[in-house]
Amino acid sequence: MKAAAAPFSRGRRAALGLALPLAALAAWELSARYGTVPDYLIAPSRILAATWEMVLSGELWRHTADSLLRAIGGYAIGGAAGVAMGLLAGIARPVERFYDPIVSLTYPVPKIVVLPILIAWLGAGDASKIAVITAAVFYPTFINALYGAKGVNRLFVWSARNMGAAPLQVFAKVILPASLPQVLTGLRIGLALAFIVTVAAELQNSRSGLGYLIADAENSLRFDLMYAAIIAIGVIGFAGDRVLVALRRRALAGQTLGKEGAHG
Amino acid sequence: MADAVLRSLARWYSVPLVLAVWELLARTGAVSRRLMPSLVEIALAVWDAIASGDLLFHAGISLGRAFAGYALAIIFGILLGVAMARSRAFDALFEPIFSFGYPVPKIALYPIFIFVFGFGNLSKVMMIFLECLYPITVNAFYGMRGIDRVHVWAAHNMGASERQIFWRVLLPGAAPAIFAGLRIALPISLIVVIITEMIGESRGLGYFISYASASFEYSTAFAGVAAVAVIGFTLDRALVWLRNRLIFWERGAAFIGAA
Amino acid sequence: MAAGAMRESGFGTLGGAGGALLEVRDLEKTFRRGARTVQAIDRFSLTVSEGEFVAIVGPSGCGKSTFLHILGGFEPHDGGTMLLNGAPVRGPGPDRGMLFQEFALYPWRSVIGNVAWALEVQGKPKAERIAIAERYLKLVGLSQFRDAYPAELSGGMKQRVALARVLAFEPRILLMDEPFGALDAQTRELMQEELNAIWQQTRNTVLFVTHDIDEAIYLADRVIVFTARPGRLKDEIRVKLERPRRIDVKKTAAYMGYRNRVWDSLREEVLKAREEFR
Repeated sequence: MKAAAAPFSRGRRAALGLALPLAALAAWELSARYGTVPDYLIAPSRILAATWEMVLSGELWRHTADSLLRAIGGYAIGGAAGVAMGLLAGIARPVERFYDPIVSLTYPVPKIVVLPILIAWLGAGDASKIAVITAAVFYPTFINALYGAKGVNRLFVWSARNMGAAPLQVFAKVILPASLPQVLTGLRIGLALAFIVTVAAELQNSRSGLGYLIADAENSLRFDLMYAAIIAIGVIGFAGDRVLVALRRRALAGQTLGKEGAHG
Repeated sequence: MADAVLRSLARWYSVPLVLAVWELLARTGAVSRRLMPSLVEIALAVWDAIASGDLLFHAGISLGRAFAGYALAIIFGILLGVAMARSRAFDALFEPIFSFGYPVPKIALYPIFIFVFGFGNLSKVMMIFLECLYPITVNAFYGMRGIDRVHVWAAHNMGASERQIFWRVLLPGAAPAIFAGLRIALPISLIVVIITEMIGESRGLGYFISYASASFEYSTAFAGVAAVAVIGFTLDRALVWLRNRLIFWERGAAFIGAA
Repeated sequence: MAAGAMRESGFGTLGGAGGALLEVRDLEKTFRRGARTVQAIDRFSLTVSEGEFVAIVGPSGCGKSTFLHILGGFEPHDGGTMLLNGAPVRGPGPDRGMLFQEFALYPWRSVIGNVAWALEVQGKPKAERIAIAERYLKLVGLSQFRDAYPAELSGGMKQRVALARVLAFEPRILLMDEPFGALDAQTRELMQEELNAIWQQTRNTVLFVTHDIDEAIYLADRVIVFTARPGRLKDEIRVKLERPRRIDVKKTAAYMGYRNRVWDSLREEVLKAREEFR
C-alpha cells in the first residue's frame, strides 16, 4: 500500500496538474503556427484574441444572455417543481405512490427526445427549449429531494414530536434542514443537466444562444467564433457549479458536509 | 392471484391514469388531434414502423453507437479511476482535468468532433465516450478511495500480495461505487447519441424522431419516443439486474435510486 | 517470578514456557496533524511469553489500540524496538494474527470463503484449505453456517468467523483489538466464555486490548494498565485465578480483589483523561 508514502506538496501537485493541459496547449499553439494542421485547429492565441474581441463588441454577451435565460428559466421551473414534489412525496405516501411508477418508467429516458415534438407544440422559440430543460431538471431534483426527505433520521422527527412540535414545524425545522444536503446534490446535478440540454437544444434548432453560435460559426467556417462560444459555455458551466458549491457550503455550514466536493 | 393483480394495479395505478388523461385530451379534441395523437394512433404508428423495418434499423444504429462509446468509457474510466486512486502522480496529473471538466457541458465540443472524426459513427462514439468517461472515472476513484481500511489491513495481515489485494479486496470493495457510475453514465450515453443524431445525420433514432416531427408525422415521432423510452428503461433494468447479481452482498439498488 | 507464578497457576507450560516470544522496548509514537503533534505512546515496554494471555486496559484514547496497530505493522512508529521471536517486526504479516473490532469480514465472501482466504493467500491447495477452514469453523461452532454471507450473521457470529479466520492461518501471536467492543452486553459475555474455552484448547499467545476490566481479568494471565495519553505503562497485575476458568469465577472474592485493584489503578487515569477533554 502507498499509505506510508509522503504526500506531494501543494506546489508540486499544482505543477503536475497543470502539466497535461499546458503541454497540450503548447503543442497546439506551436503546430498551429509552424506546422500543418487542419484549418479548424487555429492557434489558442488567436482563439483568445477572437474571444476578447467578441466580448468587447457585445456579440458574445447577447448570445450568452439568450442561453442563460433559457437555462435558468428551465432550471428554476424544473428545480422548484422537483424539490417541492420530491419533498412532498418524501413525507406523504399517496404522493410518492403516484409519482413512483411514472418516474421509475421515464427516469432512464433521455428527455431531449421530446424536443422535436415540443417544437411542434410550442414553436421553435424559447418556450420549447425551456420546457425540455424543465423536464430534464425535474428528475434528479425530484429523486434527490424524495430520498432526502425519506432518509431523515426517524429519531429527529420523534424527538421534535415529543417536544410538541406541530406537523408544519416538524417539516420546516426538521425535515427541511435534514434533507437539505441531498436536495442540494439534486440541484447541482440538475444545473449541469440544464446547461447540457440548453446547448444541445440550441445546437439542434435555434436562432440565438451559444449553441446556435457554435453551429452557425461551424457552417460559415468561422472557427474563431466557434471556439469563443465553446469557451463561454465552459466558463458558464464551471462558474454555475462553483456558485452552487459555494451556496451549499454556506447553507450547510455546521452540518457535516457530504462527500461530493469540488470533484463532483 | 386476483389479489396480486389488484396489488400491482394499486402500485402502478398512476401510469394508466396518466395514459387515460392523455387519451381523453386527444379524443375530445381539447388539444389539436394532429399535435397530440391518440394512443391508438401511436400504437398503429409503432406497428407500422416495426413492420417496415424502419424502427429496428434506426434503433440498431443508435444502440450500436451508444454501446461502443459506453464500452470505451467503461474500460478507460475504470482504468483511469483506479490509477488515480492508487498513484499520487496520476491523481495530480488528472484530478484538475476531471474536477474542472466535470460541470462543463462537453457536448459543446461536438462540432469540433465532427471536424476531427467526421460526420459518421466515430464522432458520435467519441462524444459518448467523453461524456460517459467523467462519471465512470470519478465513481471508480471514490470507490477505490472509500474502501474500509481494516479490509486492506486484514488482507495484509494474512500476508496477501499487492496483486491479491487489488483483485480480491480493492476491486470488489469498489464495485458498488463503480456500478453507481455505470448507472449514471448509461442514460448519458443515450442522451448524447440522440442529440448527435438530431443535429446532422440520416440514421438513428434521433434522426428518426426529428425527421418525423419535421414532416408533421407526429404519431410516428411519438413511436420513436416510445422506442427510446423502452430502450432506456430496459437497459437500466438490465444494468440493475446485473449489478444485483454481481454485488449480491449489498442490498439491491432502489428502483429509482442512485440518481 | 513471572514464570513461577504462571506455573503455580498451572498453565502456560507449553514448549517454550517462560521464553519471551514478544519483546517491545521503549516504543514511541507521535501523531502529527498539520502543525499539531500529539504523543500517543511514550516509552512503552512489554514482554510476552509463549502461550501467555495478556490484556491491556486503559482509558479511551490512551493509545492502546494504536499500540496494537503498530505491532500489527499497519502504522509506523517513531522509536523503540519490537522483536517477535527475536526478529524485528517489519510491516504486516501472518505471524501476527489481527482481530479487529469491526470484524473486517469481506462481505462478498461466504463464511467458509472468508476463513479459507488466508490459506489461499498462503498458496495452500484447495482441498487442504477447505479442510482447515472447516476445522476452525467447527471450533467456533459455526459449521452449519459455512455457506452463509456475513450480512446474514449477527455481530457475535461475525466475530466468531473472524476469530476462526485468524486462527486458521496459525499466527505466532494473536492481536485482538477490542474484539467484542461492538457487541451487546449479553453476547459479549458469551463470547468471553467461548474465547476462554477456545484458548483452553489452542493455547495461543494473545495480546488483548479492551476497556472492559471484567473481560480483561476473566480472560488474561496478566493485565497491563495504560496511563492516559500519552500511553505509558502504569501498572501490571498478575491474575492467578485457576484455569480452566468458568464464568462463575467472576463471583469469587479473589476475582473481586483483582477487579478492585485494576479499577483503582485505572480510575486515576480515566479521571485524568476526562480532565484533558474539558
